[in-house]
Amino acid sequence: MLDILMSVLVAGLTTGALYALATVGLSLVWGSMGMLNMAHAAMLTLGGYAAFTATTTLGLPVFAGFAAAILFGAMAGGLLYVLIVRNLLKNDKATFESNVMIATVGIGIALENTILLTYGGQPLKQPLSVDGILKLGPLNLPYQNIVIILVVVVMMAVIALLLGKTRMGRAIRATAQNRDAAQLMGVAVNRVYFQVLVLSGSLAGICGVMVSSMTQLSPPLGNDPMLKAFIMCVVAGLGNLPGAVAAAFGLALLEAFIQYVAGARWGFPSLLFVVIAVLIWRPSGLFGRTQIRRM
Amino acid sequence: MNTHSSPKGLTGSNKLDITITLLLIAAAIALPFFIDSRYVLGQIVLALFYATIASQWNQLFGFAGVFSLAQMAIFAFGGYATAMICFYFGWNVWGALVPAALGSVAFSLVVGLACLRLTGVYVALLTLAIAQTMYLLIVTDTECFVMVGSTCRQFTGGAVGFARFGDFGTRALFKAQWLVGNYAIVAVLFAITMAFTYAIVKSPMGLAFRALKDNPGYAVARGVNRFQAQLLVFGISAFFTGLAGGVYAAHFQAIGPGILSMSQLMFIIAITVVGGVGTFWGPLVGTIVLVAADEVMREAGEFRTLGLGIIIAVSIVLMPKGLVGRLGDLVGWLRRRHASPARGKLAESPALVGE
Amino acid sequence: MSDTAKPAVLSLHNVVSGYNELTVLKGVSFDVAAGELVTVVGPNGHGKSTLLKTISGLVPLKGGSISIDGQPTLTKPHAVAALGVAHVPQGDMLFPEMSVLENLLMGAYLAPGKAEIDRRLEEVYALLPKLADRRNQVASSLSGGERRMVGIGRGLMMAGRILLIDEPSLGLAPLIIEQIYGVISELSRSGRTILLVEENPARVADLADRLHLLDDGEIVWSGPPADLLARDELLATYLGG
Repeated sequence: MLDILMSVLVAGLTTGALYALATVGLSLVWGSMGMLNMAHAAMLTLGGYAAFTATTTLGLPVFAGFAAAILFGAMAGGLLYVLIVRNLLKNDKATFESNVMIATVGIGIALENTILLTYGGQPLKQPLSVDGILKLGPLNLPYQNIVIILVVVVMMAVIALLLGKTRMGRAIRATAQNRDAAQLMGVAVNRVYFQVLVLSGSLAGICGVMVSSMTQLSPPLGNDPMLKAFIMCVVAGLGNLPGAVAAAFGLALLEAFIQYVAGARWGFPSLLFVVIAVLIWRPSGLFGRTQIRRM
Repeated sequence: MNTHSSPKGLTGSNKLDITITLLLIAAAIALPFFIDSRYVLGQIVLALFYATIASQWNQLFGFAGVFSLAQMAIFAFGGYATAMICFYFGWNVWGALVPAALGSVAFSLVVGLACLRLTGVYVALLTLAIAQTMYLLIVTDTECFVMVGSTCRQFTGGAVGFARFGDFGTRALFKAQWLVGNYAIVAVLFAITMAFTYAIVKSPMGLAFRALKDNPGYAVARGVNRFQAQLLVFGISAFFTGLAGGVYAAHFQAIGPGILSMSQLMFIIAITVVGGVGTFWGPLVGTIVLVAADEVMREAGEFRTLGLGIIIAVSIVLMPKGLVGRLGDLVGWLRRRHASPARGKLAESPALVGE
Repeated sequence: MSDTAKPAVLSLHNVVSGYNELTVLKGVSFDVAAGELVTVVGPNGHGKSTLLKTISGLVPLKGGSISIDGQPTLTKPHAVAALGVAHVPQGDMLFPEMSVLENLLMGAYLAPGKAEIDRRLEEVYALLPKLADRRNQVASSLSGGERRMVGIGRGLMMAGRILLIDEPSLGLAPLIIEQIYGVISELSRSGRTILLVEENPARVADLADRLHLLDDGEIVWSGPPADLLARDELLATYLGG
């Protein structure tokens, strides 16, 4: 019994770590610029495939695989800003929220399809994965899960330091909290938006490598984590980073538990019920400040 | 930017709408006489389904400002309900359509209730999650509900869906010309949907929807009941969407989880965006343009989805008000240039482009 | 226009601005010379805040010109800030989830280096000692008066050529207002160039070098504060006595 409980716990923590990484990328973009990036899933997938190409096709070391994932994710984020977001920001502010969703949906489809055309639809093995199991008494810890949790913890620490301690991070938070005031202090908000999308893109890239190392590489790879990340963002309150991380771990553990108790197919629906319950109780999420957005 | 239409302009636009309607009805009647390719007529029937769904999504998003991504789920609900009523109770398809549409309304009201206190992207995310849950529950359904012969059938039809549960009876009636009969049914469905939508958009209720979209605070202050209005628009749009779902299932004599896929939803959004969000004729114009583009891209084979994604992104960036909005700008510009003499001719130009 | 010998730090020439179709300022001209404290008074809703927002670039300039040290300002607020305009906006507009210290550091966003930032911090703490005590407190948990001080402190951290202060007395208790004006008067005495917006001219009587009376987007009267306070008919017409 205990070992089953433990393995559910390990599975929950691992997926929680993955979701947290996906959620932070989404939440960061939403919090600072009011943009829901529907192309986040495709950026995740892009990262996974970039690492695959770097290590398998080009035969580069593991480190270069990670670098390629970060680089391509960051590039996708930057291009998204330059080609789409910058132009939509010039239009009417009131329609930005929905327009940018629709536009990124289009970009997401196009990107996913480009990957499909380039690599084909058959699943590929992510080379950046480790085999083996660490046995600790009754505990069976696959090395892959340990690697994922470690990578995510490191990434979270990096993001926390970046946002909390650096001048750039402070400018990002200032823009999220009061855009006009940030501008008065000399912050060029357009540059902040660009930085945020690049940052979120590189997070998506790493997340893609991690997700594909658990399963396999396939073009729709990012869709499932993104949808769950959305749910976690909503439960936490969009734009709240610590809340999003907490929600990611909490809901992932819940999902793992329900999948064990009631069967795999009830995992996602149960998350949905949690979301609906939370939203009826608190329409802007558990930790969300009651935003008054154009009301 | 937004030129508010004066009473004079309103009658002008009413006249324009009537002219377009008459032209469209004439074209719709003439169509089967000119087209003898079964493939082309089949694609036109499919396009009419898209236009119907898009017009209802436009009513929800474009006019009432509710960004719901559950549109295909409601369509699928109507289709599944029709198929299941026929399959399990042996009803005639015609009898199952309206109960199934009412079922869709009930489903949509539940979705609407869950979204009631939410705004903007929260609505989008929740409705997307609901649609995805529905898809997953159907696809992963493996429990036997009934045995058909020696094969096991799941309650929801599972990954396969339902087939051969009945049809409109057009095959028995028109023999080889059955497709024309189905075309007529779908065309009438589309016409009724558009007529109702027009009446709603122009009614005080439609004004309330628009007020809620443009300035919710003000609308509520002026006595618009947000909850009531939002539930109403969820219900009305779901009726026609669900009805279309039933007709779709009956036309193809099959329904499966495939219509819940993301790409189907994207196609509906693309149609509305390209045509013009919040414009009455937008979904129709968008359907014509995108179905035509889709046919052209069919030649390009595998690049189809890629092209569709790029079309969505580019058109929202370059023409946020869609083709109809762009056309409106053009008409306004011409009107200003030519002042009054050009008025009589204006009625024709958009219709020409629309063809 | 300007009767001072010193060169103008801020110079407005025929400024027209507003929101979308609405024109709020209908041709405003005046200069602020180095070391001066100039006050714009006038009834609420007649363009005082819009005037400051137009100078700092938050509201687009539709006509006329604005220059800092003879250089025409740019349209983006962050570029105007780089020219040396430090705007302390109405209602403080602090970063609510940041600490007092972080708010102040945001003021020094464009500062060249750590040493310079520390120097400015020391200066601000010396002037507003309460901020030093509260440095680690989250801005949203402060009282109204403390918030106003953070707003002013953040503006000072910008070390701009000119300080724009928008209604510093708004919504505060009389005792706190006195404190805030004490700070402003100290700033003025130390030689800073200040453009202040205030509803009540009596409050700036001893402080301002010049007053401009702004009504319906136009300057209807300019002169020393004492002159305005002596003219009952102006006070009655524009400021309700």
